[in-house]
Amino acid sequence: MQAWNKISRMPAGAISKMQDELLQKMITEQFAVRHPYYRNLFKESGINAAEIKGVSDLGRIPFTEKKDMLAPPGEPLYPKQFVIDPPSEDEEKDKKKGFSLFGKKDSDADTAKYRFASLYFTAGRTAKAVPIEYTGYDLENLKEAGARAFDILGLTRDDTLINAFSYAPNAYFWQMFYSTLGIGSTALQTGGGRVLGMEKILKAVDNLEAPVLAASPGYARFALQTLGHFGLSAANLERIIIGIDFAPMEVVESIRKLMKSVGTKNNLVQRIYFNSEAKSGMAECEPGFGYHINPDHLLVEIVDPESGTVLGTGEKGEIVITNLDARGTALLRFRTGDIASGGLVTEPCPNCKRTVPRIMGDIERKEHFFKLQGKAGEVLLNGNQIRRMMFARDDVLVWFAEISSSGAEDYLRVVMKNVSETDETAVLKAVEESLKAEYQLPFTVESSSLDAIANKIGLEKLVTEQNIFDNR
Amino acid sequence: MENWDKLSKMPYKDIKEMQDRKLRAFIGNQIYLYSPYYSKLLKDHKIDPLKIKGIEDLKHLPFTYKWDIAPTDDNPKKHKDFVIRPDEEVTEKYGHLAKMSMTGGKDMVEDRVYDFKPVHIHFTTGRTALPTPFVYSKRDLENLRESGTRLMNVFQFTNKDIFINCFPFAPHLAFWTSYFGAEKMNVAGFHSGGGKIVGTNNLMDAFEYMRPTVSVFIPGYCYYFLREAVKQGRDFSSIKKIFFGGERVPPGLKDKIKELLTQLGAEDVMVLATYGMTEAKVAWGECPSHDEYFGYHTYPDMEVFETIDPESGEPVGEGEEGEVVYTAIDWRGTAVLRYRTGDIAKGGLLYEPCPNCGRTVPRISSNIQRKSEMKEFSMTKVKGTLVNLNNFFPLLMSHPDVEEWQVEMRKRNNDPFDLDEIVLYVAPMGDINRDSFVADIKQKVLRDTEVSLTDVIFKSVPELIAQLGMETELKEKRIVDKRPTT
Repeated sequence: MQAWNKISRMPAGAISKMQDELLQKMITEQFAVRHPYYRNLFKESGINAAEIKGVSDLGRIPFTEKKDMLAPPGEPLYPKQFVIDPPSEDEEKDKKKGFSLFGKKDSDADTAKYRFASLYFTAGRTAKAVPIEYTGYDLENLKEAGARAFDILGLTRDDTLINAFSYAPNAYFWQMFYSTLGIGSTALQTGGGRVLGMEKILKAVDNLEAPVLAASPGYARFALQTLGHFGLSAANLERIIIGIDFAPMEVVESIRKLMKSVGTKNNLVQRIYFNSEAKSGMAECEPGFGYHINPDHLLVEIVDPESGTVLGTGEKGEIVITNLDARGTALLRFRTGDIASGGLVTEPCPNCKRTVPRIMGDIERKEHFFKLQGKAGEVLLNGNQIRRMMFARDDVLVWFAEISSSGAEDYLRVVMKNVSETDETAVLKAVEESLKAEYQLPFTVESSSLDAIANKIGLEKLVTEQNIFDNR
Repeated sequence: MENWDKLSKMPYKDIKEMQDRKLRAFIGNQIYLYSPYYSKLLKDHKIDPLKIKGIEDLKHLPFTYKWDIAPTDDNPKKHKDFVIRPDEEVTEKYGHLAKMSMTGGKDMVEDRVYDFKPVHIHFTTGRTALPTPFVYSKRDLENLRESGTRLMNVFQFTNKDIFINCFPFAPHLAFWTSYFGAEKMNVAGFHSGGGKIVGTNNLMDAFEYMRPTVSVFIPGYCYYFLREAVKQGRDFSSIKKIFFGGERVPPGLKDKIKELLTQLGAEDVMVLATYGMTEAKVAWGECPSHDEYFGYHTYPDMEVFETIDPESGEPVGEGEEGEVVYTAIDWRGTAVLRYRTGDIAKGGLLYEPCPNCGRTVPRISSNIQRKSEMKEFSMTKVKGTLVNLNNFFPLLMSHPDVEEWQVEMRKRNNDPFDLDEIVLYVAPMGDINRDSFVADIKQKVLRDTEVSLTDVIFKSVPELIAQLGMETELKEKRIVDKRPTT
C-alpha cells in the first residue's frame, strides 16, 4: 500500500509503471504459485507467468466471469479455488532460516497477510452470491480505500453521517463503516430500510441533525419524497452520497432538485462505486468527474462487452478488474458486468487535480440490456435508459417495468405510482409520451398502489430495488 | 480499563476498592460536569457529588427508568441529556489550555475527540417506546471491543476459532458486540446479518463453506435454522460452541439445540448464554458448563450492579432474588446511573469466586427473568388475570411435541368490550395424537400461567414460520396482542 498523497499526485507514466511492477509481482508471487484456479489455468493454457511483464501483456490471460466462481451442486468449497493459499509450513521454515542468516526479521508478518479474517459476498441480484474471502491485509486495504474515498468526497469527522445502505455482508456497507470509524465522524449504521424502515431513518436524520446521508439512489429519492408524509425535516442535510445501484447523472440532478424542494441546507449529491471483488471502493470528487481508482489496489481495463477487445481512452465498455495487492479471494481480469458509459481516462482530474485513473460516466448494468423480438426483427432495449428516464421524473414515486412476450412481438408494461401532489392522469400521459419518443415497441403505462409496487420491487426488502423484470 | 487477566483474579475486596475509586472519579469528573441530565438531577436533589465516595453511597441517587431516557414526540432529543459532553463553555476553557500546549493544542483536541466525540450509535429494541439511541465515543468503542473479548475469553474462544455471527443486523448491541469482539480478538468471522439479510439457505452454505467452530444466534431462529439444516442433510460437524443473545434461553431449548447439532454431525457442543442490555453498552457471558449454571461474569471496572427489591427499591443481600440495577463507572457517550433494568435475577448477585472457572469478578445468577423482549407487556391482564407471558417460553420451547408455536391474545368477535381470548398456534413435532396433546397443553398452560387457552390451532411449520416472521422480522413474533384498543 502506498501513501495516498503521493499516489494521487503521481504523473500518469509513473502510475502506469507502478501498476506494471505490482502486476508482475502479483502474478509471479501470488497468482502463478499460490492461487489454485489461476495456477491451473496458466498451466492448462501454457501461460508463462514470467512473460507477463506489465499491463500490455494482460491480453494473454483469459477473462474470469462470475459463473467461473459459482460452486457446482454438492461442492460448497469450490469458491476456495479463488483464494490465495498461505505459505506452507516448510516455506515458512525456509524463509525463517534464510532471513535469520542475514539478520532480518522472520516472515510472521508476511504469513499474517494470508490469514482469513472476514467473508463477504458478491452483491449480485441475478446470479447466485459468491463468497469473497478477505484477509486482515485486505481489510487494511479496504479501510485505506475508505479513507481515500472520504478524502475525495471531502468528508471530515465533523460530518455526522447516516449510513442507509442496506446491510449485506458486502463491501459497500463495510467500507462505509470503516470510513466513518476511521475518520471519527458520528455515524449511525442503520442497515437501510429493510432493517430500520424509512420513518426511523428519517427521524435519525432529523434528530441527529445529520448533514450527510448515504443511500441507494432509489431509496434517497423515496426518502426525500416521503419526508413530508412523516412530518419530518431534513433542514440540516447538506449532501447525499449515492451508490450500490445505477446512479446516472439524471438521478443526481433529480435528487438535487428534491433536496432543494424539501429545504435542505445544501444540495450536494456525490457518487461512489464499490464491489466486493475489487476490495477497493472508489468515489467521485464531483458528479461527472469520474470514479477515482486506487491504482495500487486495482487495475481496471475497459473492454468491448461482446468481443472482449480492450478499448481506448474514454470509450464505453465493460469494467474488468485485476487485484494488484490482495490476498484471500483474488481475481485476474474479472468481468464485473458493469458498463462504464464514459470509459477510462488517465489524465489528471480537471476538478480535484488528482492524477489517478478514473472511470467515467454512468455505470450501467450489462444485465439490463435486453434483446427483444420486434415486428421487424430483434430490437435492443437498454433497461438502464428506462431507469434513467423514470428516476429523473419528479412526479413518479415508485415504478417497475415488465417485459413480456405476446406471440410475434415482445412488449413492455410500465406500472407506476405518482407523487401525491400530482395529477395521476397527467403523469401517466407524460410517461407514455416520453416512452413513445424513445421506444418503437408496444407498451402500456398504468398506475397501481404504493404497497403493490413497493412489494414488487422489493423496496425495504432487497439490498436494492429491482425495477425491471423480464417475464419472457 | 483494567487488564482482564489481572481483574478476573483480584480478590473481591480489591475489586470493590477499585469500583469505589472509579465511581468517585466518574461522578466527580464526568457525570457532575458533563452529563446534563445527572448534573441537574444532583443539583435538584441537593446531592453533593463529593459525598458519593463509593458503592454504598449510590443509594443516595434516585433511580433512572427507561421512560426517563426514551424520546417522546414532545422531546425527541431527550437522549442527548444522557450523553457525557463537555458543553461549549467547557470546550472554550480547554481551547485556551490547548493553545498554551507545546503542540499547539493538536494532541489535546485529539484526546478530547477520542474521549467524547460520538462515533457509533446503538438503539434500544423497545416495541412500545420509541427506540432510544445510545452513543459510543472512540474510547467507548475500546470498552466495547474489550468487553467482546472478555465475553469470548469467558467462553474460552481463541483466535484459532472460526466464527459466524447470525445475529440479525441492526444498530443493536448483539450484532456489534460480536463484531467488535471478534475483530479485537482477531477471530476470522462472517457477520451475516442473519437469515433476514442473507437468507437461510445462503447462511447454511456459508456454514459449510467456512466450517465455523463457533456461532452466535437469537435462540428462536437458531432452532428453526438447525431444523432446516437437518432436513437438508447439511454437515455442521465443525461446530463446537453456540452462544445465544437477544432473548432468554429456556433449558429445554438448549437440549433441543444440542440434539439437532448431533444430527448435523457436531459432537459435544456447548450451548452458552449471554446477558446484555443496550443501556449498559456491553454484554456478559455465562461461564461455560454442560450441566450447571454459574452465572454471568461482569466487568467491574466498567460498571457496578446492585440488586434491589423491585417494590421497595431497597437493596437485597448477596444471592437474594432482586431486580438488576446498573450503574456506569467508566464510560463516555451515553451513560446511565442506577438504571432499573426490569430484569429479575432469581439467584441475585454473587461475589465469591466462580466455582467453575475461578474468576473473582461479580456474577449475576444465570436464572434471569428476562423481561427485555416483552418488557412492555410481559405482565398482562388477560381475562382479568395478570398473566406472566414469560412462562410460555420454557413450557413451549422445551415441549417435546412442539416444533413451532405462537400465542395470540385477541378479543371475542374482535369487539374491544367483549371477553379476552388466548389462542395457541402450534406446528406439532411429527405425527402426534392431537386430542391428547391439546388436553395436555391446556392443562400445562393453566398450571404455568393461570389462564385457560381458548383454542389450540394446528398449523404447518411453513405457515407458522411465516406467521412468526422468522425470516422477515428482527426477532420472531412469539406473543402477539391483537386485542383492539377502546
